[in-house]
Amino acid sequence: MRIKKDMKLADVIQLNYMLIPVIHRFGINLGFGDKTVADVCRENEVDINFFLQLVNAYHDKDYFPKEELQTIPVKNIVNYLKMTHSSYLNDKLSEIEQKIISLQSEDTEDQKYILLIRNFFEGYKSELTEHIMHEENVVFPYVLAVEEIIKNQNFTERNREIFESFSIEKYEEGHNDVEEKLMDLKTIMIKYLTPPANSTLYHTIIQDLFKLEEDLNYHSRIEDKVLTPKVILMEKSICNLI
Amino acid sequence: MARSTILIADNSCMIRKGLRSILQNLENSEVIQLIDNKEDVCGIVHKRKPDILIINPDMLPGDCLDAKREFFNENKLSLILLSNKKNLKNDLKADGYINYMDGQNTILDMMQEILNKNNKSSFPDKNSETISSREKNILKHIALGLTNKEIADQLFISIHTVVTHRKNITQKLGIKSVSGLTVYAILHNLISMDEVK
Repeated sequence: MRIKKDMKLADVIQLNYMLIPVIHRFGINLGFGDKTVADVCRENEVDINFFLQLVNAYHDKDYFPKEELQTIPVKNIVNYLKMTHSSYLNDKLSEIEQKIISLQSEDTEDQKYILLIRNFFEGYKSELTEHIMHEENVVFPYVLAVEEIIKNQNFTERNREIFESFSIEKYEEGHNDVEEKLMDLKTIMIKYLTPPANSTLYHTIIQDLFKLEEDLNYHSRIEDKVLTPKVILMEKSICNLI
Repeated sequence: MARSTILIADNSCMIRKGLRSILQNLENSEVIQLIDNKEDVCGIVHKRKPDILIINPDMLPGDCLDAKREFFNENKLSLILLSNKKNLKNDLKADGYINYMDGQNTILDMMQEILNKNNKSSFPDKNSETISSREKNILKHIALGLTNKEIADQLFISIHTVVTHRKNITQKLGIKSVSGLTVYAILHNLISMDEVK
């Protein structure tokens, strides 16, 4: 079902609870009563068009807002993605890490195996962090420069340098590797490890990993379906400019 | 057993989504993407490397049609044509055909046949999910952090053989990354924790 501006935001969340962290990243808090999507966006000074496209892209994996996506400034998309990144780095990853650590502090004979899991998770965490830093330090400045060039129909020296140093194609290439480790961790915990005494906590960790994976998939869908096609279009028109 | 991946390319969204919902009845397979644009076909096929491509002949890119065999052999995929034309079989060669008028059972039977055929060729012993002692040995070396070349040199086998073993190990265990394989090796006492760098 397509989410529209005159729907009640509460109904939208009932439809898909995975949208809770998404609206939170826009600065929207729960407790909005019967207000519609449009009302809540206006109150929180959120661009309604962008909001709708984003939640719809999250909600329906076949949604591909071809025409609409050209109207959204890249800056808004990048700002949103940055907020998502910081929620991964500051909240989600450390929450799971904390759970693994408390699993470790339980008095069990399986200590050694928990240590393996912990090390593995640390490895995943640093890989994801590196990936995110690459986006923030290389990809985002690049797309912002591209947008500026289009806006001014002109190159500053610095923008030209950035434009020539990178292309969105390179970004598309390295996008799948990070998910691999997360999937492996789930597989190992499900197939090959006997849960320690505190199996409830162990189960929670697995469920958290599934949710993290789902959220990351949503996230990369925004990058792949909204940001990347837009930048490809802009790159083409810049090449015409030259 | 690994799931077979399927791409559907047709310019009608009713056909794409309708077919996908029919194919949900198949076991061990998954429709990974729907394609609505002729120009995207080549790129997506190369990127996603599906096991099966179900495509309306109108969506076949001209340059792919000429080099059709080469294009599909290289990607090792089964080609199924999807159309409302009756005499399609005579015009174009493919592994299977779906006509818009076919009933659900006809489609599912045909798909199942292709899935069975594919699985037979790529998994000769699909009952044995456990890894062989040869593979255990390779796994041990991977877990110790050796590269394919180093493993090949140490065991006096070709790199190609190492790569094939690695592929089988990953398929059987469901673990792709080196660090994941290392954890498996430690859990199964192939190496000790101290040996890992």
